Amino acid sequence: MGSQDEDVRAMAPHIRVLGDPRTDPWQESHAMTATTGATPSAQPERPGRSDGVCSEFTVFTKIKPGHADALRADLAALASGSDDVKGRAALRQIGTLHDARHVIFDNDTRFMFASVFDGSWDTYIDDFAKTVIGSHFDTIFSHSEGFPGISDPGVKEWFVAHQAPAKSFVSSYPDLTVQQIWKDHRVDEAFEEVLDTPEFRAALDNPANAELLATPAFQKLLEEAAA
Amino acid sequence: MNTAASSSEPGVRVEIDDVQSGALRPRPVPYEGKFVFLRVDDRHAGRALLRRLLPLTASGLPSADRSQDAWVAVAFTYQGLRALGVPQESLDSFPRAFREGMAARAELIGDVGESAPAHWETPFGTGEVHIALSALSSEAAQLDKELERARVAYEDTPGVQVIWQQDVHQLPTGRTTFGFRDGISQPNIEGVGLLGSNPQEAPIKAGEFLLGYPDETGSPPPMPSPDVLGRNGTYAAVRKIHTNVAAWRRYLRANTASAEEEALLAAKMVGRWPSGAPLALAPEHDDPELAADPHRVNNFLYRENDDRGFRCPAGAHIRRINPRDSTIIGDARMHRLIRRGTTYGPPLPEGVLEDDGADRGLVGVFLGAHLERQFEFIEAEWVNDGNFIGHPGEKDPVAGHHDGTGSATIPEKPVRRRLQNLPGFVVTRGGEYCFLPGLRALRWIAELED
Repeated sequence: MGSQDEDVRAMAPHIRVLGDPRTDPWQESHAMTATTGATPSAQPERPGRSDGVCSEFTVFTKIKPGHADALRADLAALASGSDDVKGRAALRQIGTLHDARHVIFDNDTRFMFASVFDGSWDTYIDDFAKTVIGSHFDTIFSHSEGFPGISDPGVKEWFVAHQAPAKSFVSSYPDLTVQQIWKDHRVDEAFEEVLDTPEFRAALDNPANAELLATPAFQKLLEEAAA
Repeated sequence: MNTAASSSEPGVRVEIDDVQSGALRPRPVPYEGKFVFLRVDDRHAGRALLRRLLPLTASGLPSADRSQDAWVAVAFTYQGLRALGVPQESLDSFPRAFREGMAARAELIGDVGESAPAHWETPFGTGEVHIALSALSSEAAQLDKELERARVAYEDTPGVQVIWQQDVHQLPTGRTTFGFRDGISQPNIEGVGLLGSNPQEAPIKAGEFLLGYPDETGSPPPMPSPDVLGRNGTYAAVRKIHTNVAAWRRYLRANTASAEEEALLAAKMVGRWPSGAPLALAPEHDDPELAADPHRVNNFLYRENDDRGFRCPAGAHIRRINPRDSTIIGDARMHRLIRRGTTYGPPLPEGVLEDDGADRGLVGVFLGAHLERQFEFIEAEWVNDGNFIGHPGEKDPVAGHHDGTGSATIPEKPVRRRLQNLPGFVVTRGGEYCFLPGLRALRWIAELED
């Protein structure tokens, strides 16, 4: 799944507007792509590129004059101590965020937030605002000019207006959602633990298990166990 | 994910007498009903009809005397509001999903393949459905009386055409065509005065279901202008769903070794037993006594006793569409709906495994203040995908649109069972997004001038 060819993906079908005279800013974005091979989100008209199951989201804002140090301090606080613990717990709760970064640049005048999500950016944005991450966003973006607040009904439009869609976006694991990665990690840990037990060795040598061992499915497992 | 209300703002008083009964009243048991679609060819005639319908349109809570209780509801598609001459400025102020209509959103909500709008029953998705009337009662005689009054109203109005009708009624079994009791679970809505069906559910903000009140985000839902048009209104996604009962029974038969296993597998896919007893409370056998007790039949959560789904699989129909406090991505309270299913067509006689060619299924009405965040989100993310429960690509085993390659995971010890090659058991025959205004708004539309 997930063609790597940008042109093909850019031509993926859009949910188009029927009898709709109004044009919202994001409707004009030709960079919008329908996610290939994954379920379309309930808001497919948002800008941003997708590769397989995940999408990118990058916003650029202007830092309010004199706020750069306060922003730096807030970002440092979020990355430390109990705020960090709460933030990581919220990431578990959200369960769709692959990674995120905050960058201050242009001599403390501009700010970038960049992230990679499963599905479209706002499939879960309303829910997201209710977690501790929502209040983090409130704190961080309060240093940006014009931010209306995370619980403002117009906040999505504000983000979209400040979004710059990627010209190219590629994932090394286009088929894996955050949930699947966590599951795979748990399975791998459990599998490695089984391999370390002498009982498993003995079971492999037990003729009673020969039939199971010979199945193609089990052979695949043994291939992974060999190295 | 939390079951407690995020902020409690006591004292929200819903203007229940201005809210159409079709929006909030639970479906009676048993019930008789009818849906009628009308096309408005002349806006003056359309408004004249609305003036005749106004006195028939019920509002408020159920009457104390159920045998006298029947209610007619009046709803409009976007094309219908346009045909009635609602000013363009107002039309433009409706949310995008409503303006586009269900057919335009088909791909997004999973109506593809056999369920695609190209195969829908006429007049669904043609733009000709303008007014949707529904009438529901616990009594056939009472329903007939209401319907007769409504019929006189529209048949005496040239310039308005009846273009579709569908009778619905409860089957003698009291169950759906698949053989399961439904209509059990209803949200607990703050300030409305109707009891929710789950005593463990904290009241949900009225704004999740009605325009003009704060919702779970603390802000009121987007409302069309002027205010009088939006206030006390809501949106209804109306869908006619054909059920392939023979295919359902054959799939169960083919994947089990005994009648007992068959019943359990069906329950694992639905999340309840035929009586309505939930697997969360009755994991091994049906429990009709529990099911008959209104205080117990819906009194449960998932996390404490069944977080991993060994009783009710995370992918089961009822757990997907109402995950309660389950461990999922996101916040279940942001995606609640009022669901009202009514059955049409004859039942497939018990034990029959071959299709008899009869059309049977349900007319579903899904009500809420946010079409996108509620109905569309649930269809796209919860019914037709499984990412939110950690099973990307897995659909609702009963209501998902499978094409013969679907899978469903049933947690079991020592290893989970995975159903493969699920066929589609339901086909969308058509659907419309409707706006169900309050009574003052209905009068406002009826009295438009030009």
